[in-house]
This record gives sequence, structure tokens and C-alpha cells, in this order.
Amino acid sequence: MRYVKLKKEKIKEFLLALQDYGELYAPIKVSEKYFDFRKITNEQVDEVVLDYNRTLRPPRRFFFPEKEVLFTFNSKKVEMYENKEAFTSEPVVLFGVHACDIVGLRIMDSRFIDDQPDPYYRARREKGIIIGISCLPDEYCFCNVRRAEFVDSGFDLFLSEVEDGYVIRVGSVKGHKIIDATENLYVEVTKKDSDDLTAFDVKKSKMFTVSGNWDSLRYTLELNDEHPVIWMRESEKCLGCGNCTITCPTCRCYDVKDYPNLDGETGVRVRIWDSCQFREHGLVAGGHNFRPTKESRFKNRYMCKNAYCKEVTTAYCVGCGRCTYFCPAGINYKQNLIEIRGGI
Amino acid sequence: MTMKTTIIPEDQKIEIKEEIKRKPTIGVYALTSCYGCQLKIATVSKIIEIADSVDIESFYMLSSASSMHKKVDIAFVEGSVSTKKDLEELLEIRKNSKTLVGVGACALQGGVQSWNHGDKNYKDLFENVYGKSKIEISEAIEAKPIEEYVKVDFRLPGCPPEEEEIIYFISTFLFGSWPEEKDYPVCQECRFAGNICLLIEKNEPCLGSITTAGCNARCISYNVPCIGCRGPVPNDVAWFDSLAKVFVEKGFTEEYIRERMKIFGSHHPKLEELLTKVFGGEKK
Ligand code: SF4
Ligand code: SF4
Ligand code: SF4
Ligand code: SF4
Ligand code: SF4
Repeated sequence: MRYVKLKKEKIKEFLLALQDYGELYAPIKVSEKYFDFRKITNEQVDEVVLDYNRTLRPPRRFFFPEKEVLFTFNSKKVEMYENKEAFTSEPVVLFGVHACDIVGLRIMDSRFIDDQPDPYYRARREKGIIIGISCLPDEYCFCNVRRAEFVDSGFDLFLSEVEDGYVIRVGSVKGHKIIDATENLYVEVTKKDSDDLTAFDVKKSKMFTVSGNWDSLRYTLELNDEHPVIWMRESEKCLGCGNCTITCPTCRCYDVKDYPNLDGETGVRVRIWDSCQFREHGLVAGGHNFRPTKESRFKNRYMCKNAYCKEVTTAYCVGCGRCTYFCPAGINYKQNLIEIRGGI
Repeated sequence: MTMKTTIIPEDQKIEIKEEIKRKPTIGVYALTSCYGCQLKIATVSKIIEIADSVDIESFYMLSSASSMHKKVDIAFVEGSVSTKKDLEELLEIRKNSKTLVGVGACALQGGVQSWNHGDKNYKDLFENVYGKSKIEISEAIEAKPIEEYVKVDFRLPGCPPEEEEIIYFISTFLFGSWPEEKDYPVCQECRFAGNICLLIEKNEPCLGSITTAGCNARCISYNVPCIGCRGPVPNDVAWFDSLAKVFVEKGFTEEYIRERMKIFGSHHPKLEELLTKVFGGEKK
């Protein structure tokens, strides 16, 4: 693989150069506690935060938007007209994506490209540019036990912090082209840098509060469905607000709704992110509901994220910590998983 | 078997066509309220388009020719039942409409005028506000949502309702379908909007998690916590108890929590039951 080094003082120039490749989004601080990926104009490059903890909204929203017009229709002519936006929009350049979130995007790909190809998602993803960045965990993180703390693919460029800058690993043809076009920004990677990368890894691994891996959670949850205390106790606290799924980098559920126009003939069909924490998620024709209670809805997310996984080699939970960090009821998902695992 | 062809006589054909073509008739009525919902309907950007696609039989704010004795396909009713006269009018509107849409916080939740519901007996409450004076036009009764008296077919919440939803309701009727009820909370739209969480970060008593979505988290987007004007999330998924516990942890008192949840939720059949789970039987 190709490596170059970007000195800290060149970061601003690097971000400015990225503007040529599409609409740039990067993490900025939006409040005391929170960060979010926001659109970055030339004037805002100084606001980009390189060492944020996690973003309020997950990266998937740039490829699978919260609300999206699928098509418009004319019921009298019995015709529908595809929404071309995903094919004509500017590419998204997403800067500063953590390893766990890159795995999250790969999980999204597995469902929206490999399993049930979705042309809109695919179009946005294929032209999009992902620039990863190394990070250090806080007490909410557990990507290590989800095997998502490091990535070898899923990015065009990946910036790993060294003492006086970033070693950039090139991960795609698009990545090569960006580096070629901005060659004057970089210096050679030294032996010291490579030592720094190892030291960073050691430091990072020591900072995690859990260790090993949690792959066996599948078996614990599926073969031994005996955690009623947890489901009952924790779902009692739950507000059913959906924050845990909306902020999650791997939630894929959506609802489809029609919005007719006032002419009584035409209208739009829209898809909107859904959440299994909402009542309607499990509701089917005839009024039957697969998950009629809050407890069953609460449990479903734990099952979905830890046991109902296919098409990828990791769990659907990448350990980003968002569902705990952004839960208004203060429900600690990570702690609950530890309890389900028997305290380990 | 031979196929039979039904020949429709010419005159009937025309009649059928006209029936299909006929614009739906609507009426917009107000009981006790601030008239804000009507104002909102009257000022939606697409009002001209709406006026073209329906026949407005009555619209109290706009026309003195309005009458609740006219038959309409769809009645939009704002306001709570707060007088005997309101009740008579409501029954008349219901009788004359095929479909009745309850509009806004007063019609659907009783409005702020029923904030005190369940705390005081009505006579004391009345005397607190009006002293010994009498209301001339009609006998006043305790403010209640219209659903306590008549069947409400569809619920258009908000204080006032959102333009987007007003248009959505009318459009779906014109399309021959019906508006879908939202039964998820404001939090969804709050997070979509990229707002910070005022409850987590600022310890503000936000009611977003128990309140029906549809306003795109209007208040939180202006840094003001939700007071629940769109009413508790329908279908028994407004978790007053869980949210009350969160509020207690943040240092709010039982009285404050109950009062806040009651502003737009006092008639909710589960409110007291769920609060009792947290605070016990005796109100403090
Ligand atoms: S389940 Fe929670 S910790 Fe896991 S990926 Fe989703 S938000 Fe992150
Ligand atoms: S079922 Fe729930 S947890 Fe799973 S993807 Fe859908 S919303 Fe997310
Ligand atoms: S964020 Fe917390 S309170 Fe909200 S639905 Fe998820 S677990 Fe429940
Ligand atoms: S600020 Fe209120 S509406 Fe927004 S997420 Fe927090 S609790 Fe929900
Ligand atoms: S945020 Fe709450 S109080 Fe504000 S408009 Fe929406 S429902 Fe009403």
C-alpha cells in the first residue's frame, strides 16, 4: 500500500484541497458534549475537529438519507418517475471517519449493495469519498471487542496520528488520485513515524475498558434466551424514543410513505428511517404486531445488533458507543451486554 | 358461461361521472379556542390550491355565511368543549359531517384550559378564575377534548398544526385515502434535525420523547425544550413513567413533573396510572 505523511500544519491545506472532490463534510463541535458531521465551506476548515469522540448523527445518512423521495407518481396515468437526485448529486467527501464507523458503512453496504441492491444508496456510495482518521477510545467505546477498531478497507484515505502529523494510508484508486494531485503537501514517512504508529496502537489498546472479543454474544443471546431480568429492568427505563437506532451507524430500517398532492392524482413516495423502538415497526396488516410490548422492542435491538447478523464477518454492532451516549434515559448498552455475558 | 354486458343508461352514466367529479365539501369550525388553528389553515401557502380543489361550505373565521347545519363531507373542528353551547354545536357538526377531523391541542387534548383537569372540582376552579360572575352566552362546563363526546375520525395535532400536515390531510382525502397517524415521538425528528439533546446535555425538562412527532422538533430547534403541545404519542406508547424517573434523577420535583406533563396531557387515560408507578398513590 502507498503511504505519505501530512504534517500537522498542512491539515488546513489538505482540507481545502478536498473541496475539489465534492461536498466536504467533517466533524465539528456543535455543543459542550457533542460533535456532528457538518458541511464545511472554505471559511470553516478551521472548525474541523480531528480528535472528536463520536458524532451525533452517523455517517450512513450521507448515503441513506433520513428522508428521501423514491419517486413521484401519477395515479391517473399509472406512471412513476424515478428521483434522479442520487445520480446527479455532488459526491460526498466525508472526512474524519473512525474505524468503527467505516465498518458500519461496510455493514450498510452488505445490505444495500450485496444483499438487496439499492440504486440510490449505491450511486451515492460509489462516488463518495471516505477519509478515515485514527482515534483513542473513551469509556463508551468497545469497538475492540467487535473487531472494528482497525480497518484495512472501506476508505479512500486513512489518516493515522503520529507525533507531528498524520501518516496517510491510501486505500483506493480515488485515494491515489487525490494524493497525486496534492503531492506537494506531503513528506516521506520515516522510521520514527512507523514507531509512532506502533506506540499509538499500544496506547489505544490499553485504553479500552473491555478486552477479548464478544463474538459469542450471538450464542448467549440466541441459544440461551434467559435474560428476562435485564429486558424487564432496562426496558422499564426506556422511553421508546428511538435515539439509539437513529444514531447507530448500522441501522437499516425504513418506512415508506405516500404524500399525495392536492390535485388528487399525483404525489411522492418517500422513505424515512424507522426504528424498531417504535410501535409501528412491528405492525402488520390486520393489526397484528410482532413486537407489541416495549420490552419486546427493547430486546429486539439487542438481538439485531448482536445476533441477527449475516453477510458480513462482524456483528452489526461496531461498538461506537452512540446508543449509550445519546440515550436520554441513560441506559447503558455496553454495561448491559457485559451483564448478559455474565460479567465478562 | 356467457358474459353479460351491463349497459348503463345514458342518464345514469352522467350522474356517476358527476358524483366522481364533485369536489368534497369541507367545513372548518371552532369551539372554545384561540382560533389559531383556523388562522393556520387560512394562511397555509397552498390555500388557493386547496380552495380550488374543495368546496368550502363553512369557515367561521373567513365567512359569516358559515353554518354548522350544512352537510359536509369533512369537518375540521378546533377547540375544546367548554360550554353547553360548544357541546350542542359539536353534536350538530358531527351529525352533519361524514368525516370529522379533530384539529389542534384544544380539540384533541382539551388544551391548556384543561391543564387543571383532575386536580380541582370544576366549581372551585371556575370560582378561582371568574369569581361570582356568570357567563351569559351559555352555561360553562369543564373543558374537555371533543373525543369525550363524539367520534373523531382523524386527529390533526399541534398548537397550531403544521402547514405540512394540514396539506397532507387534505391531499390524502382528495386522493381517496386517509392520513396516517404518527405514533413515534418528537425525538426522532429532533435527532434527524441534528439538534443536541437538551434533556441529556442541559438537563432541561424536554417532553419530546412522549410527544407526537410532526413538528420537526420545532422548539428544540430553537433551543427550547418541548412542552408537549402535540399531545402524548398515541397508541399507548407515551412512557410518562420512564420519563418521570429521568426527570426525578435530574432533580425535578413530583409537582413540577406532573404539572408539566399535564399542560397538554391532562386527559390522557394513562397519565395518572403511570405517574403513580413512580410516585406512589398519594399526590403530593
Ligand atoms: S448498537 Fe450502539 S454501540 Fe453498537 S454500533 Fe449501534 S450505536 Fe454503536
Ligand atoms: S431492527 Fe432495530 S436495531 Fe435492527 S436495524 Fe432496524 S432499527 Fe436498527
Ligand atoms: S435511546 Fe434509550 S430511551 Fe431511547 S429508545 Fe433507545 S434505549 Fe430507549
Ligand atoms: S432534546 Fe428532547 S426531543 Fe430532542 S432528543 Fe432530547 S429529549 Fe428528545
Ligand atoms: S417541540 Fe413540542 S412543544 Fe414544540 S411544537 Fe413540537 S410538540 Fe409542540
